[in-house]
Amino acid sequence: MKAIKKIGLLAVFLMALLVVTACGNNSSKDSSSNDTKSSQQFKGKTMNVVATSDAYQPLFDKFSKQTGAKVKVLSMSSGEVLARMKADKSKPMADLWFGGGLDAFMQAKTDGQLEKYQSSSVKKIDSQYRDKDGYWLSKGLTVGGFVVNKKVLKEKNLPVPKTWADLADSKYKGEIIMSDPAVSGTMYAIVKGIIDQKGEKAGWEYWNKVNDNISFYGKRGKDPQEKTASGEFGIGIIPVDKMAFDSAKQNDLTVVYPKDGIPWVPEGVAVFKNAPGKKVAEAFIDFMLEPKNMKELAKLDGKDTDQIIMPGVKGLDLGLNKKDLMKENLSTFGSDRTAVLNKWSDMVGDK
Amino acid sequence: MAKKHFGSKTINLIVFIVLSLSILVFILYPYLSIFIESFNEPGQTFFDFFVNNLDLTKNSLFIAITTMILSTVLSTAVTLIFVFISKKWQQILRLILLITMVSPPFVTSLAYITLFGRRGMITHDLLQLTINPYGPQGIILMEALSFTSLNALVLIGLINQLEPSLINSARSLGAKVDSIIKDIIIPLLRPGLIVVALISFIRSLADFQTPTIIGGSYKVLASEGYLAVISMGDIHQAALINITLAIPALIGFFLYIKYDRIVTTQGHENSGGQSPFPLPKKGAFFWISSVLSIFFYIALILQYGSIVLNAVSEKFMGKFHFSLQPILQTGPYLNDTILRTVSYSIIAGLLGSLISFFIIYYSQVKKNKWMQFIEMVGTFPYILPGTFFGLGYLYAFSKPPLQITGTAIIVVINVIFKQVAFATKAAKAATNQIEPTYFKTVHDLGGTVVNEWNDVFFPMTKHGFALTFLNGFISTMTTIGSIIFLVHPGQNMMTLVMFDVVQQGQYQVASVIACLIILICLIAAGIVFGIINLSERDWSHVFRSQRSNQEVQS
Repeated sequence: MKAIKKIGLLAVFLMALLVVTACGNNSSKDSSSNDTKSSQQFKGKTMNVVATSDAYQPLFDKFSKQTGAKVKVLSMSSGEVLARMKADKSKPMADLWFGGGLDAFMQAKTDGQLEKYQSSSVKKIDSQYRDKDGYWLSKGLTVGGFVVNKKVLKEKNLPVPKTWADLADSKYKGEIIMSDPAVSGTMYAIVKGIIDQKGEKAGWEYWNKVNDNISFYGKRGKDPQEKTASGEFGIGIIPVDKMAFDSAKQNDLTVVYPKDGIPWVPEGVAVFKNAPGKKVAEAFIDFMLEPKNMKELAKLDGKDTDQIIMPGVKGLDLGLNKKDLMKENLSTFGSDRTAVLNKWSDMVGDK
Repeated sequence: MAKKHFGSKTINLIVFIVLSLSILVFILYPYLSIFIESFNEPGQTFFDFFVNNLDLTKNSLFIAITTMILSTVLSTAVTLIFVFISKKWQQILRLILLITMVSPPFVTSLAYITLFGRRGMITHDLLQLTINPYGPQGIILMEALSFTSLNALVLIGLINQLEPSLINSARSLGAKVDSIIKDIIIPLLRPGLIVVALISFIRSLADFQTPTIIGGSYKVLASEGYLAVISMGDIHQAALINITLAIPALIGFFLYIKYDRIVTTQGHENSGGQSPFPLPKKGAFFWISSVLSIFFYIALILQYGSIVLNAVSEKFMGKFHFSLQPILQTGPYLNDTILRTVSYSIIAGLLGSLISFFIIYYSQVKKNKWMQFIEMVGTFPYILPGTFFGLGYLYAFSKPPLQITGTAIIVVINVIFKQVAFATKAAKAATNQIEPTYFKTVHDLGGTVVNEWNDVFFPMTKHGFALTFLNGFISTMTTIGSIIFLVHPGQNMMTLVMFDVVQQGQYQVASVIACLIILICLIAAGIVFGIINLSERDWSHVFRSQRSNQEVQS
C-alpha cells in the first residue's frame, strides 16, 4: 500500500496548501486592521473590487484600516468586465466597480447589472458627473492631449503641434500614433469629444484627415505614450495625467494640452447588482467622497485640481485650466458608442 | 487474499471512473459548451464570420507557417551544437534554455524595437535607416525566437537517446562529421523535428500577445479574439474566432499524433558504451549551426539582460540610472499573489502528473481503448488556444449542474487539467522505459492492480514523475490565456499581474515580476533535480537488482 499511502499523504498536503493560501491572507490583513481605534463595522467582511489598476491599493488599505473590511482588488479593463458579465450571469463580477470608461457603466446600467446607490454626500458632485438615477458616479476626469518627441520632430524639421487642428496637417504624415478607440476608453472620449465639438460632419472630416497621417492604431492604451518615448513616432495622443508628465521627464518629451479644447471623460464608480458585499461597497463610496480621501485619490490617479469632480478639493498642479475643457454631450456618450466605433472602423479599414 | 483482491478491484474501479469523469467534465464539457453556445446564440453565424474574415485566417496561417519553419531551423541549429561541445558547456546552455522557456513577449518585443525600430539603435543610429518594424516580420521573428528554447530542449532530449555505438562505429569507420549528422543524427531527429514544428505552429496560432505588441496594423485571429472581448465585450465573436482557430490547430494535431507515436515508441534505452560526443568541430553543419546559435544566444542575452536592467534601474532624461525603485514599487502589485501562484503551481504539477500517469497506466500498460480515447481528449487544451479553454470554462461552469465560476477552485481545476496534455506525453515516455514483463510478473505472483502501482509503476517512473511535475509547475507559473477570463478579485496569479502592468506600460514592475517568476522556476528546477540526484544512488541500486532478477528469470 506504499504508493496509495503516499497518494493519500499527497492529498492531505495539497488540501493543507490550499487552506494555507486561502487563510494566509486572512490573518495578515486582520492583524493590520486590529491596531486602529476606529469603528470596525465591517470586520470579517470582504469587498471585492474590479479596478482599472492596482495602483489604488493605498486608498483601499486606508479603508480597510478604518472599517475592518478586507479588500481584494483585481485589475481589469471595463470591456472585459462587460464581456464577463455577459458570459457569466450567475453572479456579479465583484462588489465594487472602480474606474473605467463611462460608456461601459452606461451599458451596464441599461443591462440591469448595477445597483442603485445615492450617497448622502453625492450632492456635492456636479450633476453632469453622476447618473441622474443614481446607478453610477464619477471618481474623476480623464483628459486627452498629446505627447511630443521633439528630437524626432526636429530631425524632420517639423514644429511642435499646438492644437488638434495641427494634427490634421499632412506634414505630420506617419509621425502620429493613437490607440484604437475600441480598446482605449480615452481615445474613444477624444474621438467623440471632437465630433461633439465640431459637429457630426466637420468632426468626421477632421478624423478622416488625421487618419491619413496615422500608419497604424495601437492595440493597447499605452502604445502612443511608449512609442513616442522610444522615438518610434513624433506625436502620441494620450490621456494627460501625472504619469504622462513623469514619463516626459524620464524620456525628454513634451506634454501638450491642445489650445483648441481638451476632450474629457468621467471615470465611473458603481456597485454591482446583487453584490454580496453591497453594504461595504456603499460605505466605500461614502468614504471616497470625503474630501480628504478624494484628495488622496487624486494623488494616486495623478490628477490636476481641475480633473477632480468635487469642488474645493485640491489635486496636483499640472497646468490644466478648467475653461479649456470641451463642451461635450455626455447623454449620448454610451448610446452612440457602437455607431461611432463602427463608422470609425469603416473609415480606418485595415489599420 | 480474496478480500485484498476485492479491495483492490474497488480502488481500481474508483480510480478508473474518477479519471474518466474528471477528464470528460473538465476538458470535454467546456469545449462542447462553447461550441453549442456559439451556434445557438443570436448574431453572426460561424459560416458568415468565416467567409467575411478570410483575411484573418490567411494572416494567422501565414504567421504560423513561417514561424514554424524559422523556429524549427533555429532549434535544430541550437540542438546540433550540443554534439560538438563538452558536458560542462552542455549543462550551461541547457540551463539557459530552461530559463528562457519563461519568455514574456513584451521583453522580446521591447528589445526588438530598441534595436530595430524606426529609431532603433542598429537600424537608425548605426545604419541611418528608418525601417518600419511593425507587421508580420516582427511577429514572426519574436515568436520564432521565443519558441526556440522549448523546441531545442525537446530535440536535445532526443539526441541524448541516440545509440552511442551507432555513432562510435561510424566514426571508427572514418565517417565525416557532416555525414554523421546528415545520415545518422538528422534522420533520427526527424520525428522530433515534426513534433517541434507542429508545437510551434499551434503555439503561434494561439499567441495573442505578440501581435498586439508588435503587429502594427497586421491582424491575426488570436489577437482579434482577445480584443473582441476586451474592447467590444463581444464574447460571441471571440467564440467564433476561437472556433476558426481550432480548425488548423486540429489538422496540425492529427499530424502531430501520427508522428508523436513514432517519437515516443522510439525512445529505447541506451545499450551503454562510450559517449560518442563531442564530435570534432568541423564541417558545414558545425559552422552553420554555430552562426545561428550565436545569433540566438546573443538575442537571448539582450532580451533577458534588458529584463534585469529594467528591474534595477530608472530612466531620467533618456538615461538609465541604477535604482531599487522598481523592486519597491512591485510590492503593492503582488501582495499575496506570489504564495498563491506557487501553491497553485505545486498543486497543478502534482495532481496533473498523477492524473496523467494513471491515464497512461490504463491506456498504455493495460491497452484500454476507452482510456486511449480519454487520453486523446486530455490533449485538447494543448492544441487549442488557452483563451478558448478559459472561455469554455466560463460558459460551462457558470450554470447548473456545476456552478463554480467566481471560486478559487475553478482556477485550480483549470490549471490542473491544462497540464494533462503535456504530462500524458511525458508519462508515456517514462512508462515506455518499463519492461512490460514486470507487470506480468506481479500479476502471475498473485499481485493486484494496486500492487502493480505500488511495486512497479510508480517506483519505476519516479524520475519521469518528477520531471513531469516540474514541467507542470513551470507551465502553470507562466500560464495566462486560459485563466485570464476566470480569476476574480483575490485570485490573481503572477503572470496575470505581469500581463496587466505591461498593458499599463509599467515595464519596470513587469520586469521585476518576470525576474521573480524565472527565479521561482529555477528554484523549483533546482529542488527537483536535487531530489533526483539524491535518489539516484538508491535508484540505481534498485534498478540493478531488478535487472539481475530479470537475468535470473530468463
